[in-house]
Amino acid sequence: MSTNFSDYFSIELMWSRFPDLIKKIPITLELAALSFLVSLVIGLLIAVARYKKIKILNGIATSFLSVVRGTPMLIQLYVAYYGIPAILRIINSWGANIDVNIIPKIVYAFISLGLYQSAFTSETIRAALESVSAGEIEAAYAMGMNYGQILKRIIIPEALENALPGLDNSVIGLIKGTSLASTCGIIEITYQNQILAGRDYRYLEGYVALAIIYWLITIILERIFKIVEKRTKIPERPKPIKPI
Amino acid sequence: MAILEITDLHKKFHNNVVLNGIDLSVNKGDIIGIVGPSGTGKSTLLRSINLLEKPEAGRLSLGDISIDLPLKGSSKKAVTELRKHTGMVFQRFNLFEHKTALQNVMEGLITVQGKSKEEAREIALKELENVGLIEWQNHYPKHMSGGQQQRVAIARTLAMKPDIILLDEPTSALDPELVTEVLNIIKKVALQGYTMLLVSHEMDFIRKISTRVIFLDGGKVIEDGTPQEVFGHPKSERAREFFIKMNKLKEPEYYI
Repeated sequence: MSTNFSDYFSIELMWSRFPDLIKKIPITLELAALSFLVSLVIGLLIAVARYKKIKILNGIATSFLSVVRGTPMLIQLYVAYYGIPAILRIINSWGANIDVNIIPKIVYAFISLGLYQSAFTSETIRAALESVSAGEIEAAYAMGMNYGQILKRIIIPEALENALPGLDNSVIGLIKGTSLASTCGIIEITYQNQILAGRDYRYLEGYVALAIIYWLITIILERIFKIVEKRTKIPERPKPIKPI
Repeated sequence: MAILEITDLHKKFHNNVVLNGIDLSVNKGDIIGIVGPSGTGKSTLLRSINLLEKPEAGRLSLGDISIDLPLKGSSKKAVTELRKHTGMVFQRFNLFEHKTALQNVMEGLITVQGKSKEEAREIALKELENVGLIEWQNHYPKHMSGGQQQRVAIARTLAMKPDIILLDEPTSALDPELVTEVLNIIKKVALQGYTMLLVSHEMDFIRKISTRVIFLDGGKVIEDGTPQEVFGHPKSERAREFFIKMNKLKEPEYYI
């Protein structure tokens, strides 16, 4: 009896998976975007606490970073998934009346993905803030600018250039990280693949299709980031002088 | 008439006393050269005037702004006001790296003085012209020489029309061949009637352009007079020694 290559891997079958998987790309992107937003906000707070060396906050931030970086993302996801309802039930036992089931599953996912990524985002932001020279900040103070103005006009625009490559990595990390959200029962592309493969047990084709999709998303994002990075960078040549 | 009045200013870093009771009264139009050995508080004095350093004791008044030291939370507004009326030129230029020469000069006009973009642009272009860098308006600091950067920094300061300009060793970070171009600009500004306090090691230059020279040592003003008085007939042994040493360094006996 002869064996066909297609018994183990059918390229046709792989292609046939794409339309159903692509349908769930918006969920993956939405999850990544929300997580990135959480990581950006928390990361910024941590970075500023550490940059400005705000005493108590700095301590809390450092411990948080240590825990988040020292534990696997999957475990954090489970802790959030089972932990948040547990906390709500405790609060309910004190007299509150929150419906635990009302919280959509995606909330657990983007909060824990966002918190996890914030540990890395915060370091990117902190390094970028510290890259702005003290001399420039002094010059701005000497002009009579206040800290808010300096932050908005000098520190953030300049730090952004240095932060972008790190933030791009965060986004790409999160895109791939969303695959773990399937464990919370969110039907994004990875979970979608498991559902489809469950029907015919052709897991390999599905996973290869999935890998290609993640890879393509990443390539497209990298292209976009490159354009954005180029725009924020100080140009190599000066612009021509505008006539008065 | 005195526009800046410094009274009994004290500042120490940890246990190191840097300013030990400085009294100084600056009149409108004064070009004051501040000289003295390293570590005697020349830069600290300048940086205390716009409160980039926070002295522990003393009093500063500029026009109708008065600040008693040490600083209190309530003096925050007065500090900002004082800074708006003083301009500072730094040793290392401190231009905003991500802004062009023109944007550097416009920044304070827009953010601090609330001028419109068009108005700020007009003023900034005039000031860049004043320092001879109109063609360089769209260059970023990293594409300019140190001398050019310092000239932009001077234009940035002048654009704000400060009552008093503080120059903190404006040529010390420059290659020797770039020093002259910056000194020429400073001379030009001095002749435009600005009030200036200049810390520098360019003794000949200070001698030429200053209307008044003060010599600092040990955090105190120990000489105060016209350049002829201070350089020609210093009253203190310390100042005499310092000038002899400075002149000696220029003698050819050091060449092999």
